Amino acid sequence: MPILPRSSYYDKNYKQSAALIRARQPFLLKNIATGAAIVTFTISVYAFTIKAVSQDEFSDVKVPDKPTEPARA
Amino acid sequence: MPPSHTCQRCLLSLSNGLRPQLRTSRISLRAIASASGQPTRPSTAPQPLPAKRRVSTTSKKDQSTASETALPRTPPGLEFRKPEPKQRVLLEPNNLFHPFSNSPVPEIRQRAAFQKQHAYCPHPDHRQTRQPMNPDDAEAKKSPTAGSAPAHVRFECPDCGVPVYCSEEHWADDYESHLEVCDTLRQINEDDHDLYSGRRFNEFEYPGPQMEEALVNMTNWDTFLYSREFAAINNDRPLRQATRLLTYPVTVASVLHELSPYNIRKGGRLTTEGLKSLSALRYTLHPPRTGGGADVKGLRLNPPAVRIFIVGARAESSLPRLVWAQLNYLFPRVKFHIIFIGPESMANRDDEFPLPPRTPSNPFGAIVEDRISPELKISTFVEYYHTMHKAGHFYPYDPYFDCFMLFHPGLGHPASSHEWEETLPLLLETKVPILATGYTEWDMQRDLKWVEEKMGGEVDLLLEPGENKFRSLRWDLNDLDPQDVSCGNWGLWAFRGKRYETTRKEE
Repeated sequence: MPILPRSSYYDKNYKQSAALIRARQPFLLKNIATGAAIVTFTISVYAFTIKAVSQDEFSDVKVPDKPTEPARA
Repeated sequence: MPPSHTCQRCLLSLSNGLRPQLRTSRISLRAIASASGQPTRPSTAPQPLPAKRRVSTTSKKDQSTASETALPRTPPGLEFRKPEPKQRVLLEPNNLFHPFSNSPVPEIRQRAAFQKQHAYCPHPDHRQTRQPMNPDDAEAKKSPTAGSAPAHVRFECPDCGVPVYCSEEHWADDYESHLEVCDTLRQINEDDHDLYSGRRFNEFEYPGPQMEEALVNMTNWDTFLYSREFAAINNDRPLRQATRLLTYPVTVASVLHELSPYNIRKGGRLTTEGLKSLSALRYTLHPPRTGGGADVKGLRLNPPAVRIFIVGARAESSLPRLVWAQLNYLFPRVKFHIIFIGPESMANRDDEFPLPPRTPSNPFGAIVEDRISPELKISTFVEYYHTMHKAGHFYPYDPYFDCFMLFHPGLGHPASSHEWEETLPLLLETKVPILATGYTEWDMQRDLKWVEEKMGGEVDLLLEPGENKFRSLRWDLNDLDPQDVSCGNWGLWAFRGKRYETTRKEE
């Protein structure tokens, strides 16, 4: 093909044409809601996982002191 | 020396660069000569333009050098004389509004003259000229006895350019009621001039078949055009021009298709009886794959064609066949037979006269177009439906294959209801679904009431009357009454003869 086929529903700067926006209009709200739900789910999974594997608190465990004399050779 | 292998006309168009030539749209009026002088509804079907194609002219040059030697002279009388180039009006998009009387287009000036001769001024001071058709009719405000003599319209409103009143005083006086239609009239004015503007009409380039798996979305015009892979129609005016023709096949398809926007949910307008009738049709319209192919092993029994009877056809029968073929592309693997029946079914088709003679194999002198495609056949009968029904010409009627379509029949309209009186009982007798459209809500309700009255309730409603999702978006002007604006197939409803189920008798 000499040039790639271009859809008439996008103008020369690849922006959506008015016809495409009108065609998408009945589904816009439902799509946004679905998208928001998916993104929320993903973020919440990340948040839970990171929280679950974040480093434990060890402040209540007493670390023994370093021995003052090294062991005799 | 003319080249030998290209016809003269094609060469002429090649050298002229294929100008789009518009055939003038003819206004077809309902041929009703009733005493009350009812306004008829003209249906126009302008011919779409062929798309401009860029064709290389190198072939012409090659042939002219090669064929100079031995070429027979064209016999006298068969010589092609170049036609005189017609004076063509080119209207820029910002130059589309012209008052009808001063229009640069002669056909529109003729229309203005026709309107001035036939239309009456709607101001209440005049006497009534006819019975009012509906409560919104301007004639309802006039009184039948008191008032001045009815006057023809002479004055054109400066905002819309259509002759609407007899004088400027009456126009100024009735301004509020004129304002209701003024914007629409101006839009009609511009759309009409747009058809004569000589621009390239991309919206009349229709797509071909698409693969079955790419489903068509029938929520509204925009989703339909997108999912059917039409070229994008971004502006309103081309969208209006396109839907005006497409409304006819797409209205039929929007009801019959399994993805139709009408359903049995609340607000979906389809009744249970409607679902039954449509399921029967959809069984045929969406056939399962049979494994058939082009070879001998792929031979399969094929069902007969789905017949769509368009009764009371007027300008619909003159629609370009590419428009009707869109119906085929929506239902793959289904053969259609579209039958136009009605006394005016040859409206706008004067080139096809005279009709074929009535012979025993063609007893009603029908024009049969069976070469459109392997899946589409169109027949046109200039005859009343009741004559052909009583002759048993289309018998047997099968609710799995047949469907009636009535485009704005005006069943209850006083000017045309007497013609439907004989046909309607026979239509209902077939028990086949009948889809009907109407110009307005009031129109449809009147038709529905008339049908129920005439048939004593022996009617099942399949689709409740309401706005057609695939109506024409373009408004049309009634030349006999400029206040009467209508759009094709505004409303849609469906009915059928009442079917009774057998019940068990209590023992």
